[in-house]
Amino acid sequence: MTGLILNDDDGDLALLRDSVAGFAQRHDGPATLRARRASGDDLDRASWAAMAEAGWLGVMLPEELGGAGLGHAEQSILCEALGQALITEPLAQLSVLSGALIAAAEPGAEPQRLAEGLMSGAAIVAPAWQGADGSTGPIVARSTPNGITLSGRISYVSAAKSATDFLVLAEENGQALLLSVPAISNGLKVAAHATLDGSQLATLTLEQVTVPTQAVLSRADAANAALEQAIAAARLAISAELVGIGTRAIEDTIAYTKERVQFGRPIAGFQVVQHRLVDMWADAEFAAASVSHAVEMQDEGESLERDLAVLAAKARAGDAAVTITRRALHLYGAMGFTDDCDIGLYMKRAVALNATLGQPETLRLQFVARERAAA
Amino acid sequence: MSEQQDWNALSDDQFRAVFRSWVEANCPTHLRFMRKQRPVFNEVSEWYHTLADKGWLSPLWPQEYGGMGLDAGKHIVYVEEWARLGCPRIPDHGIGLTGPLLIQYGTQAQKDFFLPRILSGEHVWCQGYSEPNAGSDLASLRTSARRDGDDFIVNGQKIWTTLAHCANWILLLVRTSTDETKRQKGITVLLVDMTTAGCTVRPIPNLRNEADFCEVFFDNVRVPAANVVGEVDQGWALAKAVLGHERIFLGAPSRPEYAIKRLERLAQDRGAFDDPGFVARYAKLRLDLYDLSAAFERFARVLRAGGVLGADVSVLKIFCSELYQRITEEMLTVAGEEARLWDDLHTGEGDVDAMNLYLDSRAPTIFGGSNEIQKGVLAKGVLGLPSSF
Ligand SMILES: Cc1cc2nc3c(=O)[nH]c(=O)nc-3n(C[C@H](O)[C@H](O)[C@H](O)COP(=O)(O)OP(=O)(O)OC[C@H]3O[C@@H](n4cnc5c(N)ncnc54)[C@H](O)[C@@H]3O)c2cc1C
Repeated sequence: MTGLILNDDDGDLALLRDSVAGFAQRHDGPATLRARRASGDDLDRASWAAMAEAGWLGVMLPEELGGAGLGHAEQSILCEALGQALITEPLAQLSVLSGALIAAAEPGAEPQRLAEGLMSGAAIVAPAWQGADGSTGPIVARSTPNGITLSGRISYVSAAKSATDFLVLAEENGQALLLSVPAISNGLKVAAHATLDGSQLATLTLEQVTVPTQAVLSRADAANAALEQAIAAARLAISAELVGIGTRAIEDTIAYTKERVQFGRPIAGFQVVQHRLVDMWADAEFAAASVSHAVEMQDEGESLERDLAVLAAKARAGDAAVTITRRALHLYGAMGFTDDCDIGLYMKRAVALNATLGQPETLRLQFVARERAAA
Repeated sequence: MSEQQDWNALSDDQFRAVFRSWVEANCPTHLRFMRKQRPVFNEVSEWYHTLADKGWLSPLWPQEYGGMGLDAGKHIVYVEEWARLGCPRIPDHGIGLTGPLLIQYGTQAQKDFFLPRILSGEHVWCQGYSEPNAGSDLASLRTSARRDGDDFIVNGQKIWTTLAHCANWILLLVRTSTDETKRQKGITVLLVDMTTAGCTVRPIPNLRNEADFCEVFFDNVRVPAANVVGEVDQGWALAKAVLGHERIFLGAPSRPEYAIKRLERLAQDRGAFDDPGFVARYAKLRLDLYDLSAAFERFARVLRAGGVLGADVSVLKIFCSELYQRITEEMLTVAGEEARLWDDLHTGEGDVDAMNLYLDSRAPTIFGGSNEIQKGVLAKGVLGLPSSF
């Protein structure tokens, strides 16, 4: 299984891949997922701290903010490798999306503090910007003599119980605001719900939460643009993770069907099973091509091309990972229908990521709408 | 037990009316349309006993054994109404598997002992066929039974045994002799009391992380030879024969019907019927279900006319299980960003167990003879193609 193919002249990407593989030996992904699920936590603190230690939380954060200042290539390789190892902490949200919002903020003490905390793992910075239908759902902001007062409800917040800070999208008189809101704020409530992939997703309710004006990270068009870019970056990271999930699921299924003997031969010897596996492999190849293309476009393409490539990649990678893991489950027979077997966890993670930041059809429709509008 | 009558003398419509009105009045409302597909005995014992008292627990058993004595046509009505009214599934291996097997092949003593205990709920049965290395290729099973005086000594392991953790008797396929040339030979059907020393059960958490099926281990379990059903070494044919017309129910539209109602409820609540893309996909699913019912009816008609089902009935199971999956997949599309929540989704008309159904729908393409195995049966038995495995 090849996975993402990106230019790696100096071998850094290969090193990054290896370091995730090493990490996975110490922090077994599936075991961590099961433990986190049983505990009802929304973040495995040990894994997260180790990821911070490894320098994986600030990959794309600019060097001015103390980050590694690397690009989508490094981020994607990291996420792909995490997907393969089924390390399911919400990196795309807490590192990629939040990091992009912080990087786009007007320079100041607050973004500096957030960036440092995010990278060291001392701060858990969770983005909070979605409405119940999944699209941007700003809450109401009102300037007062004491600062800015926020009220409203936000859906689909990752790691809300563990969070120290939220990056909240608000609106005052039709103008967008991105603000940082301490998790411990009067009037802020978290209602968390279990997810398919053994974590929690929360709804935040803010009732007259007051923050100082220094909490504003960006405003108006800059805020909208920052969010749009951050969402695209997170989508691309998730696409790469989905590629990792798909390729690993195929590898595991090939290994299993070569081992599993029925009717006196490995079931992988039956032509029907072979064709199924080939279909799965083809899906994975197309997904990897689409995501590799999108990664390259981020450096080379025009703005429209960049956006289109991400929409296509997330749609393709989501469909592929879900279809591959579904078929894998079937090829495992009853074994696939157990919780003990990791293939089910890969399937669940694929479904959950596919539903995150836009399902394939929504993204495809956006692609076509954007392309036709530009034509 | 209430008096029985000759149900088969009624028209289907008459029987449907009688059955429906009684079930409507007597199946506890809190058990209707249960979220759990496979409740354990204690959760549904009230309904089990109510049916038994009425004499309607065993639709197919002859009336002399306490059944309703329905023919296949009336049985279809029974199953249809059961699903329509949302009655919960009861642990039914005793009624659907052990009972019919004994009625057809059991000794008088076996019938006298076991049948009343199934009806009373004292014996709860499970089906011990599959083994770790014998799934699709069931005939390769290895759990052994060795003759020792008046007993057999059983050693080995079964797996995927649905509801074994709440059963006290297991219908076992065991190997009593090994004949390398014809593996189906040398298999025997054995009735085993699971409270016997050496029999242990370990539940296996399933994809929904619920205990639903189990491993069952046999370590020198002593079983009286009187518990052999039919002839020693001749059990394979028995196990196959007992399924008979019930193979039609593997393709009964009830699962996809239930799922599409939930899809409709979710779609209505989320405004998806305003989306032409959804409506087109929904229409396809809706008509697939519509036509599945027509196909089911085609086979049901054969049974109503007193005929027997051929290998072709497998086509229902394949279509039905795949349709069930396609409907639950569409549900997750409609759920959008919510399609990663574990719990049921809220709508104005009540909760929708989208994820529960999505996960549940992964199983029917595997069990009851996987779809690949069914296609093998169709290729050989219907199209007359050479055997591929
Ligand atoms: C929810 C559930 C409940 C169950 N309950 C019971 C029960 O109560 N009692 C009981 O005895 N068993 C039970 N089973 C087991 C069931 O009968 C087996 O799962 C089934 O026979 C398939 O066997 P397997 O799981 O070992 O898969 P395998 O036989 O290992 O098959 C794995 C995959 O290979 C494919 N395959 C196998 N052979 C071929 C071939 N020749 N050509 C092409 N493809 C092939 C299959 O289609 C499948 O996709 C249950 C299973 C499930 C999932």
